[in-house]
Amino acid sequence: MVTNVAEAEAGIPKNKGFWDVLLSEKYFRWTLLIPLLVTLAVFMLYPMFFAIYYSFHTFAPGKPTFFVGLENFRYVLHDTRVFWPALFAMFKILVGCLTVELVLGMSVALLLNREFKGQNVVRGLCLLPLLISPLVVSLVWNYLLQYDYGLVNQVLNGMIHLPKINWWGKNMAIISIILLTSWQWTPFAIFVLLAGLRSLPRDAFEAATVDGSTSWYTFRRLTLPMLSPLILIIIMLRTMWLMRIFDPLYATTRGGAGTETLDWVIFRVVFMYFDLGQGSALSIISLFITIILSFIVFRLLMKSLGVIK
Amino acid sequence: MKTLKPVLFWIAVVLVVFLFIFPILWIFVTAFKLRADILSVSMGKLLFFTPSLESFEHVFTYTTIVRELANSAIISVSATVLVMLFALPAAYSFARWNTGGGHLLFVTLSTRMFPGFLAAMAYFFVYKDIALMDTHLGLMLFFYYFNISFATFLLYGFFREIAPELEQAAMIDGYSRFDVLRKVVIPLILPGVAITAVFVLVFNWNEFLFSVLFTKINARTVAVGLAMFWGSIEIQWGPMCAAASMAVLPTLAAAWFMQRYIVRGLTFGAVKG
Repeated sequence: MVTNVAEAEAGIPKNKGFWDVLLSEKYFRWTLLIPLLVTLAVFMLYPMFFAIYYSFHTFAPGKPTFFVGLENFRYVLHDTRVFWPALFAMFKILVGCLTVELVLGMSVALLLNREFKGQNVVRGLCLLPLLISPLVVSLVWNYLLQYDYGLVNQVLNGMIHLPKINWWGKNMAIISIILLTSWQWTPFAIFVLLAGLRSLPRDAFEAATVDGSTSWYTFRRLTLPMLSPLILIIIMLRTMWLMRIFDPLYATTRGGAGTETLDWVIFRVVFMYFDLGQGSALSIISLFITIILSFIVFRLLMKSLGVIK
Repeated sequence: MKTLKPVLFWIAVVLVVFLFIFPILWIFVTAFKLRADILSVSMGKLLFFTPSLESFEHVFTYTTIVRELANSAIISVSATVLVMLFALPAAYSFARWNTGGGHLLFVTLSTRMFPGFLAAMAYFFVYKDIALMDTHLGLMLFFYYFNISFATFLLYGFFREIAPELEQAAMIDGYSRFDVLRKVVIPLILPGVAITAVFVLVFNWNEFLFSVLFTKINARTVAVGLAMFWGSIEIQWGPMCAAASMAVLPTLAAAWFMQRYIVRGLTFGAVKG
């Protein structure tokens, strides 16, 4: 009886079939989500349970799997030779790229934020790096930054007579990776910020000009706060993507020269040594760090949008 | 001072454009160079060289580039269709009813922060068991998973711009919920749908991680093919750039299409204009 009342309230006619329930006013919103929910279950929940299960086991192909408790985590967290340097390298890349991309992106966005002849062509060209495959980009930069015959060193040495830089050497490689990744992704920041700049209300800026504010003051007090949701969106999305950085490493150092990130360690452990136990423990740690970082930024974003207090 | 400012502005613009397109141009320049010129250490050979089709000949003779390009096209396009088919209703549900109170949207977005290796690891042995390894279908499923969250998030922004009153008016005229979505809402955000589809297509075309793990010969995509120019002895820069110059052409076409929509597309509905 109770269910009938509930169904009547939900606008489901009595004795109607499965489809009517799915298309009813109350459940339609969930019907629309079914494919997505199935996807999440298959590609997110299952791998997660898989990883949690194996993180507590040892695993090697052809050998029996057995329970070892937290041993995998203990081993990984005490691994000062691989784990901690990899984590540190990951944060170096994260901070380096975000800084370069936001500063350069904001400068170029401010530069292009005016009407000029050929503006569409210029914007279109600036967009290109974003669309080229990261693998191709990294391979090309690998070539450009070669020590002997790379273009950058030839220009440095042959034209400005500066010493050649060993771009793929021990301490330099991570900076090269940061540079080429930022080169590719700065356009993303440019276009998000440019779109933001174009949609800012005019009158506030006119008032500021009338009041005689300097342009730096206007930028800091007016432009920057108004753009903060977009800056946070950039930081959030880029953080997620940067933690997963793979192609630039594969195409340049292959994890050598101090550029091994956490995900590269997972790649090595799982797909070269087939050690699913340790690989699972590492992926869970990696996932955990990413979730915490992006959740903090997500909260800030929701606050700046006024969705939550 | 008055004439100096525009000059400085244009110098800055030219520098920025040069910075962003030069490495891409260099792919095409290198593709037409002889091996000796590519590895040359003399400045003169950087720009002044005899063009040659040696690298292209090498690519067509010794690699399966045509098949790889075809594989990439088949897998990318079918995955894009699947993504759009499933992301559209989901994004609409999130935008119209805030289904799941924001948490579900965050979970959806978070698929992009899952280590790709997490899914790859879990399905590596499954794929071997059910013979999906090195098949178009197998890779397509990963491409689909890889993109659905981003597509849903982008479309969510577009859907949010449609006023609910419009839909209510259509429903009073006797449209069902489904008809409203199909005949009223989606036509209105068609530019948004188009830009999302092109984005997904480009991401698919460029994907490498799952491609390199889950394909070998049969379904090998062009990205994996490119990585194979890194041999055990040396990196074959010339053939690699020749192959890359062909592989980036579809993305350049996509860029041409996108530039009109891009400024609108990337606000994510976060700034109301």
